[in-house]
Amino acid sequence: MDDLKSKKILIVDDEPEIRNMIDRFLRKEGFTRIYQASNCAEALELCSSAKPDIAILDVMLPDGDGFNLLTSLRQKSDMPVLFLTARGEDEDRLLGLGLGADDYMVKPFLPRELILRLTAILRRVYLPPRQEQRPAFQLGERIIDLESGVVRNGDTEHPLTAKEIALLNKLYENRNRIVTSDALCQAAWNDDYYSYENTLMVHIRRIREKIEDQPSDPQYLLTVRGLGYKLMIKEAN
Amino acid sequence: MEGTIRILKRFISATMLISIFLLVANFILLGVLVTNGMKQGLSPSVVVRNVAKGLHPSSPHSSSKGPTSPSSQNPSSPSPHDPSTLPEPSTAFILDASAVDLLERNHAWAMLIDETGQVMWNYQLPEEIPRSYSLVDVSKFSRSYLMDYPVFVWEHELGLVVVGYPKTSLAKYQHIFPTGWVSSLPLKIVLWLAANLLLALLLSLFIGSRLIHSIRPIAQGIQSLAEERAVYIEPKGVLSQLAQSVNRVSQILQKKSDRLKSRDEARSNWIAGISHDIRTPLSMILGHASDLEENSVIPEEQRRQAGIIRQQAEKLRSLVSDLNLVSMLEYEMQPLEKKPIRLSALARQVASEFLNEGLEEKYVLEIEALEETALVNGDERLLTRAIRNLIHNSIRHNPDGCRIRLQTTWNEPDRTFRFIVADNGKGVPRDELPNLLKLPYSSKRKHPRKNGHGLGLPMVARIAKAHGGQLCLDSDVGKGFTAELVLPDARS
Repeated sequence: MDDLKSKKILIVDDEPEIRNMIDRFLRKEGFTRIYQASNCAEALELCSSAKPDIAILDVMLPDGDGFNLLTSLRQKSDMPVLFLTARGEDEDRLLGLGLGADDYMVKPFLPRELILRLTAILRRVYLPPRQEQRPAFQLGERIIDLESGVVRNGDTEHPLTAKEIALLNKLYENRNRIVTSDALCQAAWNDDYYSYENTLMVHIRRIREKIEDQPSDPQYLLTVRGLGYKLMIKEAN
Repeated sequence: MEGTIRILKRFISATMLISIFLLVANFILLGVLVTNGMKQGLSPSVVVRNVAKGLHPSSPHSSSKGPTSPSSQNPSSPSPHDPSTLPEPSTAFILDASAVDLLERNHAWAMLIDETGQVMWNYQLPEEIPRSYSLVDVSKFSRSYLMDYPVFVWEHELGLVVVGYPKTSLAKYQHIFPTGWVSSLPLKIVLWLAANLLLALLLSLFIGSRLIHSIRPIAQGIQSLAEERAVYIEPKGVLSQLAQSVNRVSQILQKKSDRLKSRDEARSNWIAGISHDIRTPLSMILGHASDLEENSVIPEEQRRQAGIIRQQAEKLRSLVSDLNLVSMLEYEMQPLEKKPIRLSALARQVASEFLNEGLEEKYVLEIEALEETALVNGDERLLTRAIRNLIHNSIRHNPDGCRIRLQTTWNEPDRTFRFIVADNGKGVPRDELPNLLKLPYSSKRKHPRKNGHGLGLPMVARIAKAHGGQLCLDSDVGKGFTAELVLPDARS
């Protein structure tokens, strides 16, 4: 994690206050190698000299726009780019993302959101791809291990099918929140709920038989009538 | 194009009618004229017949009556002066008074020629007229003139009665037709009429097409005016002034629409500019306020205040982006990322979001009878936004809680899907409904908004419009509030 904090960050914005504010937030989060540029020329120069690892670009700059700047930067470097702009129009968003920006944020922004998105990009680009580890969690007596695809209850083990794992994974990712039937069908079958209505019900019943004490009166995997399902997990912490 | 052809048809039928009418009227007029001319006075043939009938030889003894009757004077006036009439006083004639009167009225003279060609009797015979005639003479003048006097003959028991009219008073014509010609006359008249009509048709076609030819550019011009295109018609021919007028109208319209366009652009530019200029300072407020809020060094009370600043800044942020979205939609500048969207899935999605975000207990969100096939072509973000706005609207206007029902239906008659968001809350007076779709500070909105920023429903209406649909509202006081988002079927 710490090597992410040592990444070099380039901030390009014509407003010094914004630059300084972002600078401050980043330093507070532990980033130390931060460069600032107020226009395209400076940005390109810094890109050559400092070789930053990621750039935060404004779209409207005194000597050009951020989209052109991105195109020029791309000739020198493959670093990830996050647009941070006061132009919120959708077409700009699409243009920015279409040019290969990694993210697009609209001002005004919450500093926390900027940091989170920035870190997410850095992690995705610079950290070695983690082995996709599926979670394991506890429901009452049982431990549901999605990685090995089993439900353990004391000494007994019940295997889970691939679809059941996909459904449980989706439910776990959104634990304690309603997941619509549509989202579940997308997760398991990559298709509309419309054609999988009954299949989904059958799978949910089978999952309940494996994870609930009384499948007819579920405690963990709840039905939300008309909407979908909800996996209730008491956070252990 | 079709219009000009219809004009041509009308024109031709009108000209045909007019020419038929003229033809008939002229025939009638000609007939009247001819008969009138023949009836002017009595026709010469009648006069000569009457004279022949009224001329009687008088016996020698009856000649004593002569002086008493006016007819005894008939050899009179010229006779005293002209001794040549006297050689045969033995044969006296009496002309009836009516016949005399006829001759007088026509200023005509008369004579009776006997079998040998001698004038037996005359009445006011001009002196230049010979007194004896050969057969050749008779046959000559009976067909035409006698020394330029138009003369007419009729048989008499004693010879031939000749009535002469003053020189140049009458024109004699003789018409001689082959009988074949006469017998085919009716057919000829019909053909003649038909030829006339054909001529009229051709002429009207010619004139009409000339006219249409000059009208067509103008008709096309007006057509394009209606389609809001710029028009220029070469002003020439009869209708050049009309063409100039059309050109002028086109110019005026063009100017107006340009002005309107630039005004719209200025307005949306202004909104975009304002929202851009607000965004940077707002970023500073939001950033620093949230920084202070999370700063554990600062006392609790100040952190709470910083939190309020952050919340208000966030409100301002959503207001700015809403204003921007609404004005972009208003000026049709909002790009749509369209893709097939299942309305039922959208309903479940939005309802789940509301429940996951912690909807208060007093609000019940119901999903009802979803039409699973409802598939529309739309921008998911905008449609989600529209439905969220409708649900928020129900929540905001019913602080005491209400049931909110989400439903999707298929409407066969107009082949549309409806996304219905209905509550059983307080409702809105029916006459205020149209107001709710107007922008909050528009001059058309009669009552100012009461709560919220008032952009919610106008935004939904504009999102619906951008998708080729509409927003229908139904409500009344105490009857709840129903909003139907009508969207066209993606498959049609």
